[in-house]
Amino acid sequence: MTAFMQTDSARQISRGIAGALLVAAVWEICARGLNLPAYILPSVTSILAGMVGDLASLLEAARFTATESFAGYAIGCLIGMAAAILVTMIPSARSIVLPLATAINSVPVVAYSPLVLLWFGIGMASKIVMVAVAVSFTIFLSTIAGLDRVDRKSVDLIRSFGAGRLAVLWRLRLPTALPLIIAGMRVSTVRSVIVAIVTEMLGAYGGLGWVIYQAVLQIDFVKVWAAIIVASAISLAFFGAISFVERRYVFWSKA
Amino acid sequence: MMERAMALTEEHLRGPAAGAMGLIDLLKPSKGRAVAQVPAKLETAEPTDAGKPLIELRNVSKTFGTVKALQDLEVSIRPGELVTVVGPSGCGKSTLFNILAGLEEPDPGNVLRHKGISSVASDLLGKVSFMPQRDLLLPWRNVIDNAILALEIEGMPRGEARKQAMAMLPEFGLAGFEAQYPNQLSGGMRQRVALMRTFLFKRDLMLLDEPFGALDALTRTMMQRWLLDVWQNHKRTVLFITHDVDEAIFLGDRVLVMTARPGRVKLEQAVDLPRPRKADIVTSPEFIALKKTLLEAIEEESMKSFQVAGY
Repeated sequence: MTAFMQTDSARQISRGIAGALLVAAVWEICARGLNLPAYILPSVTSILAGMVGDLASLLEAARFTATESFAGYAIGCLIGMAAAILVTMIPSARSIVLPLATAINSVPVVAYSPLVLLWFGIGMASKIVMVAVAVSFTIFLSTIAGLDRVDRKSVDLIRSFGAGRLAVLWRLRLPTALPLIIAGMRVSTVRSVIVAIVTEMLGAYGGLGWVIYQAVLQIDFVKVWAAIIVASAISLAFFGAISFVERRYVFWSKA
Repeated sequence: MMERAMALTEEHLRGPAAGAMGLIDLLKPSKGRAVAQVPAKLETAEPTDAGKPLIELRNVSKTFGTVKALQDLEVSIRPGELVTVVGPSGCGKSTLFNILAGLEEPDPGNVLRHKGISSVASDLLGKVSFMPQRDLLLPWRNVIDNAILALEIEGMPRGEARKQAMAMLPEFGLAGFEAQYPNQLSGGMRQRVALMRTFLFKRDLMLLDEPFGALDALTRTMMQRWLLDVWQNHKRTVLFITHDVDEAIFLGDRVLVMTARPGRVKLEQAVDLPRPRKADIVTSPEFIALKKTLLEAIEEESMKSFQVAGY
């Protein structure tokens, strides 16, 4: 079964690579064939050359952005889950908190970024806060939905074994919620990188968003694309890592 | 309606094995039909002789909104007994079990004695090993960890609980399956894991709510014989709900027939068939006679409810 899954995911990966290569080839042909200027679409090879040339500064920016994303992501996940558990354990809080959370979550979080920059400065802290806010709401809502999925009869059964509220939470509700929690976590990976980059564009000392913004001012579009590609790579790796954890530890929900 | 009753008698004549599950379904009164006028006909064979009962219910009623699920139910179970309960669905059997498991409080004015001590239902939480209709195995736990769920909640260290459960696997036909997950098991095996979980939670009273209801007829027969073996080895007191009259007689020391809603005990029938019981006992004259009595009680009940409804 594991071998089967491995060949399956290996096939998926090889298809993904083939698709990317195809896009790169078409891109290269268009850019060179139509002789497009760099501010419209630089060729893939020139972007790759640019990446090699700027490697040190790109890696430094990537480290910056990745740190902000991961830290904000981790904080956001913890806050989101803790809040969801709290609200589930105190039913009266739920009717107050849930509509509020849904309302706040319906506005794109980046709308709050000028305020957050004002409050937390233009260093890493403001980006971490923004990412944490964005992630925590998603995780909060998916954890609530997951905890609600618990079967009344299962709760009765485990109560008949003498389980109190905490035991029901730990042995039944949380594992039941896990598939939805981790699905929310998987979606949030990409969201966290996006929010970090957008906030960097509005004011930062470093990071890929800052690099992109500076490169646009300097009319260096090869660098813009190089930073975009690095950002995509971070997002993809992050997404892949959480997907791997999901497949490994939430094996029962897919079978 | 009369046609339904006729069909019932035919079914009845076809013998013990044929469609006993379907029988009860035929008897099931439609929802909303009043059946309250059935006079209380309690054939009380009170167990005053064989020591004090393990659990005793008197005047137990339960109302959900406007629906009376149970009315003046009287049940008493002696230690070591295997008592089966039959009755149409919606007769309050599951409500009775929920009360005995401590999950539901009966209406005020009841008497509930556990080992002779007056109790409220919630006192029974954690005192009774309860197996609901569905196996409710946790999909993220393998066979052994599902089996030890109740022990873990009691606070037993995992290692010790697993050791106990491993020793029990062969008896439950699960040797070698300890590391499998529920979605890899057949229905019969899942049910055995659920039963093992119930057995490992060592309590005086075991409540089994139609544990074999969802299994095919062949598997069900095997599981019944197997359950009798296990019960005889472990000497537990068991209350067993079923739809199946054959199953009720084959397993039980006594069979309680419940009326349609509001549920109460209509007939209490002792089963004097010798143990250990072989599979072919279902064709013995004694078995057939018992079955006839029980089916008549159930049929009488349903005819009365038809008349009440104006048919």
